[in-house]
Amino acid sequence: MRWMRPLSAPVEGEITLDGTRVEGPHHDRLMLFQEHGLFPWLNVMENVLFGLRRQFRFKPKARRQKAREFLQMVHLDQFEKAPIHELSGGMKQRVALARALAPDPKVLLVDEPFPALDALTRAKLYGDLQEIFLRTRKTIILVTHDAREAACLGDRVLVFSGRPGRIKADIAVDLPRVRDINDPRVAEYAKLIMNQLEGPADESPTT
Amino acid sequence: MKVRQHRIKYYVLGFYLLLLTVWQALFSAQVLPDFLFPSPWQVVRRLWELAIDNYLWPSLRATFQRMGIGFSIAAAAGLFIGLLMGMSRVVNSCLRSLFLGLQTLPTAAWVPVSLLIYGLSDRGIYFVIIMSSAPAVAIATSDGVLHIPRIYLQVARTLGTPTYAMPVRIILPASMPSIVTGMKLGWTLAWHGGVSAELIKSTIGLGFLLQMGRELNDAAQVIGIMLLTVIFGVLLDQFVFGMIQK
Repeated sequence: MRWMRPLSAPVEGEITLDGTRVEGPHHDRLMLFQEHGLFPWLNVMENVLFGLRRQFRFKPKARRQKAREFLQMVHLDQFEKAPIHELSGGMKQRVALARALAPDPKVLLVDEPFPALDALTRAKLYGDLQEIFLRTRKTIILVTHDAREAACLGDRVLVFSGRPGRIKADIAVDLPRVRDINDPRVAEYAKLIMNQLEGPADESPTT
Repeated sequence: MKVRQHRIKYYVLGFYLLLLTVWQALFSAQVLPDFLFPSPWQVVRRLWELAIDNYLWPSLRATFQRMGIGFSIAAAAGLFIGLLMGMSRVVNSCLRSLFLGLQTLPTAAWVPVSLLIYGLSDRGIYFVIIMSSAPAVAIATSDGVLHIPRIYLQVARTLGTPTYAMPVRIILPASMPSIVTGMKLGWTLAWHGGVSAELIKSTIGLGFLLQMGRELNDAAQVIGIMLLTVIFGVLLDQFVFGMIQK
């Protein structure tokens, strides 16, 4: 993840996006962090606008319009003037999502975004994320420790082994969207992923 | 005991009335002779006389002006140095120990040095105010900068914030709570330093009126000016920082 953003460089190999080598941080690739990382001194709208600052092709009014659009997408357009500390955990994560989407990145990197949320909020966010994916058709790369989360959200699940981190399996999840986290078919895929995780590390394919 | 919020102010009022009563009772009981220990009424009357004789107002204005200018310089310098400290490990290590050391110095201890350097001029008072409060502002600012959660910087970088814009867009607002705390402390120390310096160096100002009261053996004036110093110190603190914290 850090390499793709990149905040640091890979030990070997290289990261390319559409054939171009990835050099430094760029809004082509945006990241949604574990902690939401919203700026508490700005309100909801200003947080989303922050990411649009570098988009010089838009006039301020157009930026505001765009920010509002993305807030609508995460169902928070009612709260654009609210200060961050008044939002619940799930709402904060949704603002962070809107902020990451607003600059129109080619790739969205999501690092375990929903760890500290209750099950209900989580399930809702899974739905939102899938809907946004269907609408924007962004490439989303999501890192998670939760097999069921992977099965629910992923089209292609790459299973990594622990130290050294190598790809152990490549599973395509062929289910219609929007998927429900409690769908038994999702659970089946999750089981498949878990088996791969627990299975022997040695004879696994490396890509 | 639980007291409802809006009732508390009555308790506070009662507390001060009690304090005044005790003061008056001690005076009436003649614990000390009355030229050493004046009554509340004598203190108020003396302040009124000073006001009528046109001593009070020019002195208050002089003190406020010195504080305004002196503290503005101290705050700006402290803020700037504090930001530098927050951004460079080397600068921080060097200056932090120095400033913490200087902070153990009572603010009045700057007065003799300023006398040596500036003699009896007003610049010496500014010197004392600045040396008293700038280190506190700088340390609080650097604390604020050093404790900015890394995630804010990472987020800002991935959202394309250029390095030159970081101080204004991220570093300053993110460390604002700590900076305001530092300014409050700095203001209090500046007030201490300023009045201390006026005791010795000036012919006008609250500190001067205190010293004049001592020279005239006028206990009522000394106590009255002390009270005024406390009251204006608190009022200005509330006024200035009430606006910032809005």
